Amino acid sequence: MKITVSINLGGYSFNIDEDAYAELKRYLKNLDLHFAGEESSSEILSDIESRMSELFRSKLTVYKQVITLGDVGEVISVMGRPEDFPDNEGPSRKEKFSTPGTHRMYRDPDKRVIGGVSSGMGAYWDIEPWIIRVIFIALAFAGGLGIVIYLILYIVLPEAKTTAQKIEMKGNPVNIHNIKDSVKKEFDTVRKNMKL
Amino acid sequence: MDLENTKAQMRKGILEYCILSVLSKNSCYASDIIKELKEARVIVVEGTLYPLLTRQKNAGLLSYRWEESQQGPPRKYYELTPEGEAYLSDLDKSWDELVESVNLIRTSEQLINQ
Repeated sequence: MKITVSINLGGYSFNIDEDAYAELKRYLKNLDLHFAGEESSSEILSDIESRMSELFRSKLTVYKQVITLGDVGEVISVMGRPEDFPDNEGPSRKEKFSTPGTHRMYRDPDKRVIGGVSSGMGAYWDIEPWIIRVIFIALAFAGGLGIVIYLILYIVLPEAKTTAQKIEMKGNPVNIHNIKDSVKKEFDTVRKNMKL
Repeated sequence: MDLENTKAQMRKGILEYCILSVLSKNSCYASDIIKELKEARVIVVEGTLYPLLTRQKNAGLLSYRWEESQQGPPRKYYELTPEGEAYLSDLDKSWDELVESVNLIRTSEQLINQ
Protein backbone atom coordinates (compact mmCIF):
# COMPACT_ATOMS: atom_id res chain seq x y z
CA MET A 1 0.00 0.00 0.00
CA LYS A 2 1.19 3.49 -0.82
CA ILE A 3 0.01 6.99 -0.10
CA THR A 4 -0.92 9.01 -3.16
CA VAL A 5 -0.87 12.73 -3.72
CA SER A 6 -3.21 14.66 -5.95
CA ILE A 7 -1.54 17.15 -8.29
CA ASN A 8 -2.52 19.54 -11.05
CA LEU A 9 -0.19 19.24 -14.01
CA GLY A 10 -0.96 21.19 -17.15
CA GLY A 11 -4.58 21.65 -16.12
CA TYR A 12 -5.18 17.97 -15.42
CA SER A 13 -5.47 16.38 -12.05
CA PHE A 14 -3.47 13.25 -11.36
CA ASN A 15 -3.15 10.85 -8.49
CA ILE A 16 0.48 10.13 -8.05
CA ASP A 17 2.41 7.91 -5.62
CA GLU A 18 4.26 9.78 -2.94
CA ASP A 19 7.73 8.67 -4.09
CA ALA A 20 6.84 9.48 -7.70
CA TYR A 21 5.66 12.88 -6.58
CA ALA A 22 8.96 13.60 -4.85
CA GLU A 23 10.87 12.63 -7.99
CA LEU A 24 8.65 14.72 -10.24
CA LYS A 25 8.94 17.71 -7.96
CA ARG A 26 12.73 17.43 -7.93
CA TYR A 27 12.81 17.22 -11.71
CA LEU A 28 10.60 20.26 -12.22
CA LYS A 29 12.65 22.22 -9.70
CA ASN A 30 15.83 21.38 -11.65
CA LEU A 31 14.21 22.50 -14.88
CA ASP A 32 13.13 25.68 -13.20
CA LEU A 33 16.72 26.36 -12.13
CA HIS A 34 18.04 25.46 -15.57
CA PHE A 35 15.81 27.94 -17.34
CA ALA A 36 16.06 30.61 -14.65
CA GLY A 37 18.16 33.00 -16.73
CA GLU A 38 15.93 32.63 -19.74
CA GLU A 39 13.40 35.17 -20.94
CA SER A 40 9.88 33.69 -20.54
CA SER A 41 11.16 30.83 -18.43
CA SER A 42 7.73 30.32 -16.89
CA GLU A 43 6.24 29.86 -20.34
CA ILE A 44 8.83 27.21 -21.22
CA LEU A 45 8.05 25.42 -17.98
CA SER A 46 4.32 25.48 -18.51
CA ASP A 47 4.78 24.11 -22.04
CA ILE A 48 6.89 21.31 -20.62
CA GLU A 49 4.32 20.62 -17.91
CA SER A 50 1.53 20.42 -20.48
CA ARG A 51 3.52 17.94 -22.51
CA MET A 52 4.30 15.85 -19.43
CA SER A 53 0.66 15.90 -18.54
CA GLU A 54 -0.14 14.56 -22.01
CA LEU A 55 2.45 11.80 -21.62
CA PHE A 56 1.12 10.85 -18.19
CA ARG A 57 -2.44 10.70 -19.50
CA SER A 58 -1.34 8.22 -22.13
CA LYS A 59 -0.08 5.97 -19.33
CA LEU A 60 -3.36 5.81 -17.47
CA THR A 61 -6.20 3.38 -18.17
CA VAL A 62 -9.35 2.33 -16.43
CA TYR A 63 -7.29 -0.31 -14.61
CA LYS A 64 -4.34 1.91 -13.85
CA GLN A 65 -5.29 5.17 -12.27
CA VAL A 66 -2.20 6.20 -10.37
CA ILE A 67 1.08 7.55 -11.66
CA THR A 68 3.97 5.47 -10.37
CA LEU A 69 7.65 6.17 -9.93
CA GLY A 70 8.28 4.11 -13.06
CA ASP A 71 5.95 6.32 -15.09
CA VAL A 72 7.71 9.43 -13.86
CA GLY A 73 11.09 7.92 -14.79
CA GLU A 74 9.86 7.09 -18.29
CA VAL A 75 8.38 10.52 -18.87
CA ILE A 76 11.53 12.20 -17.59
CA SER A 77 13.65 10.16 -19.97
CA VAL A 78 11.43 11.24 -22.86
CA MET A 79 11.65 14.89 -21.87
CA GLY A 80 15.30 14.72 -20.89
CA ARG A 81 17.08 16.12 -17.87
CA PRO A 82 18.63 19.58 -17.98
CA GLU A 83 22.10 18.07 -18.38
CA ASP A 84 20.89 16.34 -21.59
CA PHE A 85 19.86 19.61 -23.18
CA PRO A 86 22.39 21.04 -25.54
CA ASP A 87 22.81 24.55 -24.26
CA ASN A 88 21.60 26.85 -26.94
CA GLU A 89 23.03 30.03 -25.65
CA GLY A 90 26.13 30.79 -23.69
CA PRO A 91 28.16 28.41 -21.59
CA SER A 92 26.62 25.25 -20.21
CA ARG A 93 25.40 25.01 -16.67
CA LYS A 94 28.50 23.13 -15.65
CA GLU A 95 30.78 25.86 -16.90
CA LYS A 96 28.74 28.52 -15.19
CA PHE A 97 29.61 27.12 -11.83
CA SER A 98 32.99 25.49 -11.91
CA THR A 99 35.35 27.19 -14.34
CA PRO A 100 37.76 29.80 -13.06
CA GLY A 101 36.14 32.37 -15.34
CA THR A 102 32.98 32.43 -13.24
CA HIS A 103 32.20 35.63 -11.42
CA ARG A 104 29.64 35.68 -8.65
CA MET A 105 28.94 37.94 -5.77
CA TYR A 106 29.58 36.59 -2.28
CA ARG A 107 29.98 37.97 1.20
CA ASP A 108 33.65 38.14 1.98
CA PRO A 109 34.20 36.87 5.53
CA ASP A 110 37.94 37.68 5.50
CA LYS A 111 37.64 41.43 5.28
CA ARG A 112 34.30 41.96 6.92
CA VAL A 113 33.32 44.69 9.36
CA ILE A 114 29.71 43.63 9.92
CA GLY A 115 28.49 40.85 7.65
CA GLY A 116 31.00 40.98 4.80
CA VAL A 117 28.55 42.47 2.32
CA SER A 118 30.61 45.55 1.50
CA SER A 119 33.89 43.66 1.35
CA GLY A 120 32.23 41.08 -0.92
CA MET A 121 30.88 43.77 -3.24
CA GLY A 122 34.28 45.43 -3.20
CA ALA A 123 35.98 42.18 -4.16
CA TYR A 124 33.41 41.62 -6.86
CA TRP A 125 33.78 45.01 -8.54
CA ASP A 126 37.42 45.36 -7.61
CA ILE A 127 36.93 48.58 -5.69
CA GLU A 128 37.82 49.51 -2.12
CA PRO A 129 35.18 48.21 0.34
CA TRP A 130 35.23 51.50 2.28
CA ILE A 131 33.67 53.25 -0.72
CA ILE A 132 30.72 50.88 -0.54
CA ARG A 133 30.56 51.25 3.24
CA VAL A 134 30.36 55.03 2.88
CA ILE A 135 27.52 54.61 0.38
CA PHE A 136 25.67 52.25 2.73
CA ILE A 137 26.10 54.62 5.66
CA ALA A 138 24.95 57.57 3.57
CA LEU A 139 21.89 55.59 2.45
CA ALA A 140 21.25 54.50 6.04
CA PHE A 141 20.86 58.15 6.99
CA ALA A 142 18.56 58.66 4.01
CA GLY A 143 15.52 57.16 5.73
CA GLY A 144 17.21 53.88 6.64
CA LEU A 145 17.29 52.62 3.06
CA GLY A 146 20.92 51.59 3.43
CA ILE A 147 20.06 49.30 6.32
CA VAL A 148 17.25 47.62 4.39
CA ILE A 149 19.45 47.07 1.32
CA TYR A 150 22.24 45.78 3.50
CA LEU A 151 19.96 43.29 5.20
CA ILE A 152 18.55 42.05 1.89
CA LEU A 153 22.02 41.59 0.47
CA TYR A 154 23.13 39.87 3.67
CA ILE A 155 20.31 37.36 3.22
CA VAL A 156 20.67 36.91 -0.53
CA LEU A 157 24.44 36.72 -0.88
CA PRO A 158 26.07 33.49 0.22
CA GLU A 159 29.29 33.62 2.20
CA ALA A 160 32.43 32.73 0.24
CA LYS A 161 33.60 29.75 2.24
CA THR A 162 35.70 27.64 -0.11
CA THR A 163 38.72 28.77 -2.08
CA ALA A 164 36.82 28.18 -5.30
CA GLN A 165 34.12 30.57 -4.15
CA LYS A 166 36.71 33.16 -3.19
CA ILE A 167 38.19 32.95 -6.68
CA GLU A 168 34.70 33.20 -8.18
CA MET A 169 34.08 36.25 -6.03
CA LYS A 170 36.95 38.11 -7.65
CA GLY A 171 36.24 36.63 -11.05
CA ASN A 172 37.15 38.25 -14.32
CA PRO A 173 38.44 41.71 -15.02
CA VAL A 174 35.65 44.20 -14.54
CA ASN A 175 33.53 45.21 -17.46
CA ILE A 176 30.01 46.43 -17.77
CA HIS A 177 28.90 43.05 -19.09
CA ASN A 178 29.97 41.29 -15.90
CA ILE A 179 28.15 43.80 -13.77
CA LYS A 180 24.98 43.47 -15.79
CA ASP A 181 25.24 39.71 -15.70
CA SER A 182 25.68 39.50 -11.97
CA VAL A 183 22.87 41.89 -11.21
CA LYS A 184 20.57 39.80 -13.38
CA LYS A 185 21.70 36.61 -11.69
CA GLU A 186 21.15 37.99 -8.21
CA PHE A 187 17.79 39.31 -9.27
CA ASP A 188 16.81 35.84 -10.43
CA THR A 189 17.85 34.42 -7.10
CA VAL A 190 15.76 36.94 -5.22
CA ARG A 191 12.79 36.23 -7.45
CA LYS A 192 13.18 32.50 -6.87
CA ASN A 193 13.39 32.98 -3.12
CA MET A 194 10.29 35.13 -3.10
CA LYS A 195 8.32 32.53 -5.02
CA LEU A 196 9.27 29.62 -2.78
CA MET B 1 38.41 19.02 -29.94
CA ASP B 2 35.49 17.10 -28.60
CA LEU B 3 33.42 15.07 -31.04
CA GLU B 4 30.26 15.23 -28.97
CA ASN B 5 30.57 18.97 -28.66
CA THR B 6 31.10 19.41 -32.39
CA LYS B 7 28.08 17.26 -33.11
CA ALA B 8 26.00 19.21 -30.61
CA GLN B 9 27.06 22.47 -32.25
CA MET B 10 26.07 21.17 -35.70
CA ARG B 11 22.75 19.88 -34.44
CA LYS B 12 21.92 23.09 -32.65
CA GLY B 13 21.57 25.30 -35.70
CA ILE B 14 19.92 22.55 -37.69
CA LEU B 15 17.27 21.95 -35.07
CA GLU B 16 16.09 25.55 -35.23
CA TYR B 17 16.00 25.29 -38.99
CA CYS B 18 14.03 22.03 -38.81
CA ILE B 19 11.43 23.49 -36.45
CA LEU B 20 10.76 26.33 -38.86
CA SER B 21 10.63 23.90 -41.79
CA VAL B 22 8.09 21.70 -40.03
CA LEU B 23 5.93 24.73 -39.32
CA SER B 24 6.19 26.01 -42.87
CA LYS B 25 4.10 23.07 -44.03
CA ASN B 26 1.34 23.30 -41.45
CA SER B 27 0.62 25.05 -38.22
CA CYS B 28 1.02 22.42 -35.55
CA TYR B 29 1.11 21.95 -31.85
CA ALA B 30 4.23 20.95 -29.97
CA SER B 31 3.58 17.20 -29.97
CA ASP B 32 3.20 17.14 -33.77
CA ILE B 33 6.48 18.98 -34.13
CA ILE B 34 8.14 16.55 -31.76
CA LYS B 35 6.79 13.58 -33.65
CA GLU B 36 8.18 14.84 -36.92
CA LEU B 37 11.55 15.80 -35.45
CA LYS B 38 11.83 12.42 -33.76
CA GLU B 39 11.06 10.58 -36.97
CA ALA B 40 13.74 12.62 -38.70
CA ARG B 41 16.04 11.85 -35.76
CA VAL B 42 17.11 15.44 -35.19
CA ILE B 43 15.89 15.55 -31.62
CA VAL B 44 16.83 13.27 -28.77
CA VAL B 45 15.00 14.63 -25.74
CA GLU B 46 11.78 16.59 -26.03
CA GLY B 47 12.74 19.17 -23.45
CA THR B 48 15.09 20.71 -26.00
CA LEU B 49 12.20 21.87 -28.15
CA TYR B 50 10.31 24.11 -25.74
CA PRO B 51 12.98 26.72 -25.04
CA LEU B 52 13.62 26.96 -28.79
CA LEU B 53 9.95 27.47 -29.58
CA THR B 54 9.68 30.16 -26.96
CA ARG B 55 12.82 31.90 -28.22
CA GLN B 56 11.62 31.81 -31.80
CA LYS B 57 8.28 33.16 -30.68
CA ASN B 58 9.97 35.95 -28.74
CA ALA B 59 12.06 36.74 -31.81
CA GLY B 60 8.86 37.21 -33.81
CA LEU B 61 9.42 34.21 -36.09
CA LEU B 62 6.48 32.25 -34.71
CA SER B 63 3.12 33.01 -33.26
CA TYR B 64 0.65 30.70 -31.64
CA ARG B 65 -3.05 30.43 -31.05
CA TRP B 66 -4.97 28.33 -28.56
CA GLU B 67 -7.15 25.69 -30.06
CA GLU B 68 -9.69 23.50 -28.34
CA SER B 69 -8.92 19.82 -28.40
CA GLN B 70 -11.14 16.82 -28.00
CA GLN B 71 -8.58 14.83 -26.05
CA GLY B 72 -7.73 17.36 -23.42
CA PRO B 73 -7.11 20.97 -22.54
CA PRO B 74 -6.64 23.59 -25.30
CA ARG B 75 -3.45 23.27 -27.26
CA LYS B 76 -0.99 25.84 -28.48
CA TYR B 77 -0.82 25.77 -32.25
CA TYR B 78 2.32 27.38 -33.59
CA GLU B 79 2.64 28.96 -37.01
CA LEU B 80 5.21 30.98 -38.93
CA THR B 81 4.85 34.74 -39.03
CA PRO B 82 5.73 36.58 -42.27
CA GLU B 83 9.13 37.35 -40.69
CA GLY B 84 9.47 33.66 -39.94
CA GLU B 85 8.78 32.81 -43.58
CA ALA B 86 11.44 35.26 -44.75
CA TYR B 87 13.89 33.96 -42.16
CA LEU B 88 13.23 30.39 -43.26
CA SER B 89 13.74 31.13 -46.95
CA ASP B 90 17.11 32.70 -46.06
CA LEU B 91 17.96 29.58 -44.08
CA ASP B 92 16.89 27.37 -47.00
CA LYS B 93 19.29 29.21 -49.21
CA SER B 94 22.20 29.00 -46.83
CA TRP B 95 21.48 25.32 -46.17
CA ASP B 96 21.73 24.58 -49.90
CA GLU B 97 24.97 26.52 -50.05
CA LEU B 98 26.35 24.62 -47.08
CA VAL B 99 25.47 21.24 -48.54
CA GLU B 100 27.05 22.26 -51.79
CA SER B 101 30.21 23.50 -50.09
CA VAL B 102 30.58 20.38 -47.99
CA ASN B 103 29.99 18.10 -50.96
CA LEU B 104 32.50 20.02 -53.00
CA ILE B 105 35.14 19.63 -50.33
CA ARG B 106 34.40 15.97 -49.71
CA THR B 107 34.49 15.02 -53.36
CA SER B 108 37.59 17.06 -54.15
CA GLU B 109 39.38 15.28 -51.32
CA GLN B 110 38.58 11.98 -52.97
CA LEU B 111 40.11 13.16 -56.24
CA ILE B 112 43.36 14.03 -54.50
CA ASN B 113 43.49 10.63 -52.83
CA GLN B 114 43.11 8.90 -56.13
